[in-house]
Amino acid sequence: MNNFIYARASSVQDAIARTAEDPTATVIAGGTNLVDRLKVFLEEPSQLIDISRLQMQQIERLPDGGLQIGALVTNTALADHADIRRDYPLLARAILRGASQQIRNMATVGGNIMQRTRCPYYYDTAFACNKRQPGVGCPAIDGVNRLHAILGASDQCVAVHPSDMCVALAALDAIVEVAGTQGQRQIPFVDFHRLPGDTPQRDTNLELGELITRIILPPVAYARSGVYLKLRDRASYAFALVSAAAALNVSGEEIRTARLALGGVAHKPWRATIAEQFLIGQPATSSVFEKAANLALQEAVPLSGNQYKVDLARRLIRRAFAVSANSGGMA
Amino acid sequence: MNQIIGTSVSRKDGRAKVTGTATYGAEHQLPDLVHGYLITAKIANGRILNIDTQAIERSPGVMAVFTHENMPRVFTPTNDWANSQIYETRLPLADDRVHYGGQIIGLVVADTLERARDAAHSAAIEYQEEPVLVTAENATYEDSPPWFGEDFQFQEGTFETGDFAVAAADAPTTLEATYNTETELNSPMEPHALVAHWQGNDSVTVYEPTQWVRVSQGTYAELFGLPTERVRVVSPYVGGAFGAKAFPWPHGILCVAAARELQRPLKVVVSRRQMTANTGHRSQTEQTVRLAANTDGQLIALEHTARTCTSPVEVFSEPCTAVTPVMYATPNLRLGQELAVLNVGTPTFMRAPGEAPGMFALESAMDELAWELGLDPVELRLRNETQEHQRRGGVFSTKNFAACLSTGAEQFGWSQRQMQPRSQQQGDRLVGWGMAAATFPGYRGAAMAKVRLLPDETAHVLTSANDMGTGAYTMVAMTAAENLGLPVEQVRVEIGDSIMPDGGLAGGSQMTATLAPAVMNACQAVLETANAENAQQAFASLQESGRAAYEATGSAAPGEEGTEFTFQSWGAHFCEVTVDEDIARLQITRWVSVMDIGRVLNAKTAASQIRGGVIMGIGSALMEECHFDPASGHPVVYDLATYHVPAHADIPRIEVTFVGEPDLNFNPMGVRGAGEIGIMGVAPAVANAVYHATGKRIRSLPIIPDKII
Ligand SMILES: Cc1cc2nc3c(=O)[nH]c(=O)nc-3n(C[C@H](O)[C@H](O)[C@H](O)COP(=O)(O)OP(=O)(O)OC[C@H]3O[C@@H](n4cnc5c(N)ncnc54)[C@H](O)[C@@H]3O)c2cc1C
Repeated sequence: MNNFIYARASSVQDAIARTAEDPTATVIAGGTNLVDRLKVFLEEPSQLIDISRLQMQQIERLPDGGLQIGALVTNTALADHADIRRDYPLLARAILRGASQQIRNMATVGGNIMQRTRCPYYYDTAFACNKRQPGVGCPAIDGVNRLHAILGASDQCVAVHPSDMCVALAALDAIVEVAGTQGQRQIPFVDFHRLPGDTPQRDTNLELGELITRIILPPVAYARSGVYLKLRDRASYAFALVSAAAALNVSGEEIRTARLALGGVAHKPWRATIAEQFLIGQPATSSVFEKAANLALQEAVPLSGNQYKVDLARRLIRRAFAVSANSGGMA
Repeated sequence: MNQIIGTSVSRKDGRAKVTGTATYGAEHQLPDLVHGYLITAKIANGRILNIDTQAIERSPGVMAVFTHENMPRVFTPTNDWANSQIYETRLPLADDRVHYGGQIIGLVVADTLERARDAAHSAAIEYQEEPVLVTAENATYEDSPPWFGEDFQFQEGTFETGDFAVAAADAPTTLEATYNTETELNSPMEPHALVAHWQGNDSVTVYEPTQWVRVSQGTYAELFGLPTERVRVVSPYVGGAFGAKAFPWPHGILCVAAARELQRPLKVVVSRRQMTANTGHRSQTEQTVRLAANTDGQLIALEHTARTCTSPVEVFSEPCTAVTPVMYATPNLRLGQELAVLNVGTPTFMRAPGEAPGMFALESAMDELAWELGLDPVELRLRNETQEHQRRGGVFSTKNFAACLSTGAEQFGWSQRQMQPRSQQQGDRLVGWGMAAATFPGYRGAAMAKVRLLPDETAHVLTSANDMGTGAYTMVAMTAAENLGLPVEQVRVEIGDSIMPDGGLAGGSQMTATLAPAVMNACQAVLETANAENAQQAFASLQESGRAAYEATGSAAPGEEGTEFTFQSWGAHFCEVTVDEDIARLQITRWVSVMDIGRVLNAKTAASQIRGGVIMGIGSALMEECHFDPASGHPVVYDLATYHVPAHADIPRIEVTFVGEPDLNFNPMGVRGAGEIGIMGVAPAVANAVYHATGKRIRSLPIIPDKII
């Protein structure tokens, strides 16, 4: 770990000013991901700007019935919040399927969104990694890649985004509100994270000096039927091999709205809009769900070690929709 | 009085551990302590051309850097087990060669850990790379020499009685299957770490977790050319070891050597990442089992061959076939062990070395044979019991394997089992039942203990043995309490220091069988000295005479009994799994273990050892695996988030029952060990249950979702 300056931000503006003027400064919230990365030399920032004491810790009802969530709300507080549990159960579930109680107590919403990949090649500086050092190559592509991406990867990077919470937020049409020197802007959640392309070093569209200030959840009726299913290598405390967030609004015999997002499969939480569009107007039957699952995976390109993920993802999607259709979200 | 042995007594060291007052190796605080951080190789085969040590030395806080160019002189130990032993024959920083990824190639010493780590990280090193081989399938295998080093007690890899080929050719039923297990990491909670403190050049104290205090002392003495008593090894607590903390590793030798040069107390902690290459692992294995049987299930011939891998700098052959000759009687038995060299770190003992993966192959094959013959797998095992060790000879001193099977079957409700795969269901999940046998040799060594009776009416037991979480403190206290006629609370135990009498090795499940008889003898000796029948009388005579203490040392060692008998523990596991086949989700829902380990000394910690073994076995069955990057050779795991061991949610309630009788031919206490038998047979019991649930025979561990769908 390099020497760095530690400074506590006095306000959101202060944090923005400090990070805008020094591109090598980094904000720290719960520290559960950043400190690990620092200790193994993945990043060597000149300054840590501590934002953890700023006033971004509220969950509030919006006039339109949606909710806004401060960037510093802890993962635990969010998952335990009565309105979240009632109106957006899949979000609460996704969070509770991640990490451990102790880590969730420290972890914040902003930090969870900004956490970086767990690709073992990225984590160990003995390996080359385009994410750490663009242009040096990606040994995971021909290496041990059981945990890697099957969708949206590039020949530069096959890492996956590790978050569970973000998969739920992608399915819920959440909005990320960010603030920078130029003021505020809102970014639809699905556009917030990036695919690796030729710039695998960039995970998100957050610009230098910008800070996540809050998340906005729109008031959506389908959210109550939402389910989150996660498959992993042990029963708790492991990142997803594949996860699926799904929600349906069925009225009469027809599906009116469908939402589907996948985790563990791509460099970003993967929203499967093709499958969603196909479902509209269809009956909620297993063969329809099967077709939707096939559509969601039709562009999958598995690597030598992760063919199983294609199959597993398909099965998980079918299951998630079936549960959503049957239980109205109480899976 | 005879009422303490066999009861359940909570750990004497439990409170110290949960309140954080138990001091582990790296926690010894010494004035003027400095910190070392290992530099590790970024290539897995080749040479170091240059290390820019001047740049490292200029780094803030750095006091010294050691590489192969200035490695202080150390002597080659005799490596005979009795006096000394190191895990990796090549001494640290011996030359410019790199044999495996992550190998230690230097040590930076600085005033703080962070500064040492920073300087080690930024070291500029030039290498000359050579081709790397880490893929077992591409390796060249040869007949294995004895499994560890040159002289270890165990015999050559190959063995044959009868004629397998001829016998198998005529058999009514034959079966051949190949099984694979992956590289596993010992992964103790406490990382490898030590503090070395020299007093001048001719005496050193080493604070290091070790399973064998005395040999660790002897080894450091030989390495540094000192008389044994000039080395003191302090190891009161060991935070798990599973075989990987018996002898010095290169980092330990390097730390002690550097501390002498610097004449400052030096601490080296091996990071989780560095542990993957430098502190041992269990080799991956490929095993083939061939069985030939009569229609009634009687085995006619059995062949078990294994291929495992070692590092370029040490011979360690995972002895998978060691278990085979004790399990099932057959007139035609053939065993083979082959070994290949890969550019990976040095493998070593890991809880039931060889035996655990060996049992996966054998007990899976027996299950396959049972299905083939339409026989209950419990019955198949009963029909093939052997009463002697078919390789080394000697009848089993006691054997209650049949009782393990019948008690386990009864407790589990095995008779309700459906005799078809995929025939039991719970909602939309398939339910499967599986069983497998367990066995482990009874080992015993020599040990000594000193007992002191003090006027405050306590007994004090001192021995250099150690407790790596197994319950040794409590076992010693109970043994002393029983033999002195005292409540356990009045016995104080101090262990893990080489200034105390030699307490033997905590490995091969032998600490209790080794040490308890010595403690018993020491208690009898101290009562004799006091001319008392029990401690109360001795305390009274202390009061009367005004004497400070009675003290005596007792020792115990095996005699000739091993020429007549083979000592072996037995057991059986029964388990239930549920499989949500569609989404490849597997859960273990029930577990019953029945064990015959001779006399049970502490019912609570013995059961806890069995449970720990079952949990570790479930880890190897379902999740533990370390892969190596085919191009660079580095392990592609770096911590306990990438190398999974079970979480609570993976583990069902584990019922443990002990059956059997004291093994009095083995030692006067009649105890065998509990440390390793728990893991034996766990993985095959799971795989057999998965077969029963799904009809799918999974022959490679771990059973990850990829293999279920
Ligand atoms: C052992 C372990 C297991 C885990 N398992 C899971 C799991 O199964 N599923 C899962 O989803 N997660 C898991 N996690 C990850 C965990 O969710 C994240 O570490 C956590 O959410 C990060 O939040 P934090 O507040 O601690 O972030 P920090 O570590 O403080 O910061 C992380 C990053 O976010 C940036 N950042 C923080 N706040 C803001 C902001 N407001 N605006 C802009 N940038 C910001 C920081 O600069 C930093 O780069 C695990 C973590 C660990 C250590």
